[in-house]
Amino acid sequence: MPRPLPLSILRLTLPRAERDEIVADVSAEHDAIRVREGPAAARRWLWGQALRSLPGLVTLTWRRASTGFEPRANAFSPGGNLMQHWIADARYAARRLRTRPAYTLLAVFTLALGIGGTAAVFGIARPIILDPLPYANADEVASFWASGSWNEQEYSQLRGNFPGFQRVAMYREGDMTLRDGDAPARLIAGIQVSHELFGVLGVRPMLGRDFQQGDDVPGADPTVVLSHGLWQELGGTHDLIGKRYDLDGVSRTVIGVMPRGFWYPNPSVRLWSARPINPAGRNGSYTLVGLVAAGEDPANMTPHVQRLTKMLADRFTYSERGDKTQDAWVKPLREELLGSMKPAVLATFAAMALILLIACVNVAALMLGQVEGRASELAVRSALGATHGRITQQLVVEALLLGVVAGGVGGLLAMLGFPALAQALPIGAWREAAIFDWTLFGTALGVAVLAVLAVVLVPASSLWRGGLRGAISGARTGGIQGRGGRLERGLVVAEVALAMLVASGAALLLRSVSNLYAIDPGIETKGIAVVDIVSNRNLDGDVRIQTIDRIIGALEQLPGVQHVGAAMKIPLRGGGDSWNVYAEGTSGAPEDRSFTYFRVVSPDYFQALGIQARSGRLFDASDRAILGNDTTVEMSVVVNEAFAKKLFPNQDAVGRAFSGGFALRQRIIGVVPNVAEASLTDTPAPASYYLHRQGWWGSAGSAVIRTTRPEDAEAVLDQARRAVQRVAPEFAVGGVTTMDRIFDTAVGPARQLMALLGLLAGLALLLGAIGIYGVIAHFAARRQRDWAIRVALGLPGSRVITHIVRHGLMLAGAGVVLGAVGAALLTRLLSSFLYGVSSVDPVAFAGATAALLLIGAAAAFLPAWRAGTVDPAIVLREQ
Amino acid sequence: MSDFSPLGVLEEQVLVAVIRTQHDAYGMHVRREIERVTGRELAIGAVYATLDRLEAKGLLSSRRTMSDMSRRCFQLTAAGSRALSETYEMRQRLWQGVDPRRLVLSR
Repeated sequence: MPRPLPLSILRLTLPRAERDEIVADVSAEHDAIRVREGPAAARRWLWGQALRSLPGLVTLTWRRASTGFEPRANAFSPGGNLMQHWIADARYAARRLRTRPAYTLLAVFTLALGIGGTAAVFGIARPIILDPLPYANADEVASFWASGSWNEQEYSQLRGNFPGFQRVAMYREGDMTLRDGDAPARLIAGIQVSHELFGVLGVRPMLGRDFQQGDDVPGADPTVVLSHGLWQELGGTHDLIGKRYDLDGVSRTVIGVMPRGFWYPNPSVRLWSARPINPAGRNGSYTLVGLVAAGEDPANMTPHVQRLTKMLADRFTYSERGDKTQDAWVKPLREELLGSMKPAVLATFAAMALILLIACVNVAALMLGQVEGRASELAVRSALGATHGRITQQLVVEALLLGVVAGGVGGLLAMLGFPALAQALPIGAWREAAIFDWTLFGTALGVAVLAVLAVVLVPASSLWRGGLRGAISGARTGGIQGRGGRLERGLVVAEVALAMLVASGAALLLRSVSNLYAIDPGIETKGIAVVDIVSNRNLDGDVRIQTIDRIIGALEQLPGVQHVGAAMKIPLRGGGDSWNVYAEGTSGAPEDRSFTYFRVVSPDYFQALGIQARSGRLFDASDRAILGNDTTVEMSVVVNEAFAKKLFPNQDAVGRAFSGGFALRQRIIGVVPNVAEASLTDTPAPASYYLHRQGWWGSAGSAVIRTTRPEDAEAVLDQARRAVQRVAPEFAVGGVTTMDRIFDTAVGPARQLMALLGLLAGLALLLGAIGIYGVIAHFAARRQRDWAIRVALGLPGSRVITHIVRHGLMLAGAGVVLGAVGAALLTRLLSSFLYGVSSVDPVAFAGATAALLLIGAAAAFLPAWRAGTVDPAIVLREQ
Repeated sequence: MSDFSPLGVLEEQVLVAVIRTQHDAYGMHVRREIERVTGRELAIGAVYATLDRLEAKGLLSSRRTMSDMSRRCFQLTAAGSRALSETYEMRQRLWQGVDPRRLVLSR
């Protein structure tokens, strides 16, 4: 009969010499209780004995081990204390590590960097890759294609009839200006939603109620739900429910507060407002999410999507651009929300794991060197009766000690570097979800212990394989040629190969980013400050334009400012509004129409961004405001070259008229060069610019301020913010930035990733150099006597140096070749960040190769120089 | 004042139980004796660790008897006897002037 588990626990914790006695006694009493009170009571008693004995027995073992106390009764019993060996080993290891500070520091620092970095990146990656979404229905929610371009009419007609879905919710961007008392308005990131949203996600408000049917119909009392964070900012009291706030110029009732940790669609959103949905509204820019019907899998909805596109095709007619019946899909919510960030985070995580691996290899090589240096000591111990197990145990203890210290230092590094790392990664609003906590510290320690246990396998296996006793004779003769060192060389080749992976990734991103920076966006980016201004949506149109003119006037008064312009959408910030137009004199049939970005600007906008007319003129005072319903006047329009070429190929566009979008006739007064309106890498797209007093200004816009001296752009930002708040308290300042920074953002995640991978590549090269240096130094030391004899016989010292450096280069070369093969496979992970360069770009690979070979040669040169210039007489005398 | 440090409650109980069990004072027996007298369940680990600690302090010594080599049996040392009696006296002094019967009545 197998021994019951509690008895095994007791056996494990009892001192060896006394365990049989006590286990037998406990077992006997257990049997007696079973006979007396039945098996259940006996089992309960036994578990109680075992578990409640643990603290006492552990302290007993510890006390005996640390004081060396052994009871007199055990004088003739073999066995003794288990832990005593471990503690003695730990003391010995600590002493050894203290007497070799260079080795210890190098090993701890190397491991700590790898461990800390991996733990920090893991902390950032966790909410994106691992953590469940904060929605009860997360696995049954799917998002729809044509994100951001559904309209109210489509939704209203399909509502309740989406095939394969229980419920579908609709939402759109809905940042709102909040005025609380007399304070200047501030912008709250939010979305406008249909009442189904929280129901679809399966989350109920923590306080108050969810939106319900009737909240999202025209004429309903305007209602909002707050995020936990915003609720706390506004006082965090329960009586906030039912309170009214001036949001976007409309008094809205707070009906609920979402629980802490809830976010949708990203952590920056703090306000959800019910959107009155007009069943006939053609207003677009909505996104759909739906809760799938019971038993459906959101990853596999193709048949339902086909039925849905058929329903759409039956009810609506679409132009070619924006045809919702084409390329239709629905996909799981998680993929939609977090999918785009995954590659960057995974690439960084992979790079960090590689660094950790390099660090481990490095420490393994260091340890191997140490073990080989101690070969004669270990051999003597083994000759005196120490078993392999005992010697291995000592290595393990030394490694664990290193690991625990490195884990602690690494955890500290992770904590300190965490905010910087979160900023450096292209994860947008998820930065707010990335919080350093103590589980990461625990992770760091865990990783450290695993890492050193893996590391210790290397020297241990070398011990097991090599006959230790042979080392004694080797030690006596000084060992010409010494021990093989093949394992050590193999480790360095692996290390260089891993460094090559990271370095080639960084080189690829560097190439890609420099390609992006070489693109001419068509505007000046130096010396331009940008202030995002947001009016409430319900401000009268004319008042809004007048306020914008007032803001421009105030900004022009600031010292050092040359031109001030304003636009609803400035370049490099995404597509924005567009519509279809056709030249006057054509029929307006689909083939005559062209899509154009539609921009509303103030008169000085072009001057502020340094855009000059190619032909015709820019806006001036003669372009007057259009009053009321006057339909006889024409609008003055400036278009870009792509527009002119598309609508009026091979003709002069200036003076020509076109229709579409606005009801009025639109006449071209000037043509400007193409500007990167939407994003940096787009091919030139048609764009038309309208004067603000002739057109229509939405709620959001930006003022662009050109300073006389380019370096003043940053300095003017704060004054500009205050000027706007002074002359237009009803406008919120959404943010202030510079055109340079907008350009950086437009270059995109590749830039941030490049900085990070560049740093990691530097680290990998450094670690690689340390590895090569260590192995070559060891190699040189082993052959010192050999070379000393040759030099004494007339071999020039320079030949020794060349020989050793060549050896280092061969190791680096082998690593580079292996690494290049791996990199060719792995850099595909980066392909979504690469622009104008293939993921196996030869230039990037050659650059990484050159860097590694150079570093390999440099790291090998130092020991080579020492070996080549030493006096052979000294070496031979020493040995 | 003497230089002895007062015994803990479990230490005192264990020492007394070692005396009470006389020549058969091994771990399990001591545990059973305390349980029997105090009516409180005790874990063998706690008793054993206390026995060991008392031996390390020099208040007990252990040996294996000729009849049963497998058992570690304990007996009080001179220091152990002194510590126990000082603890007893200290307790007496502490209780002087307090009538335990009145405690029972006033409950």
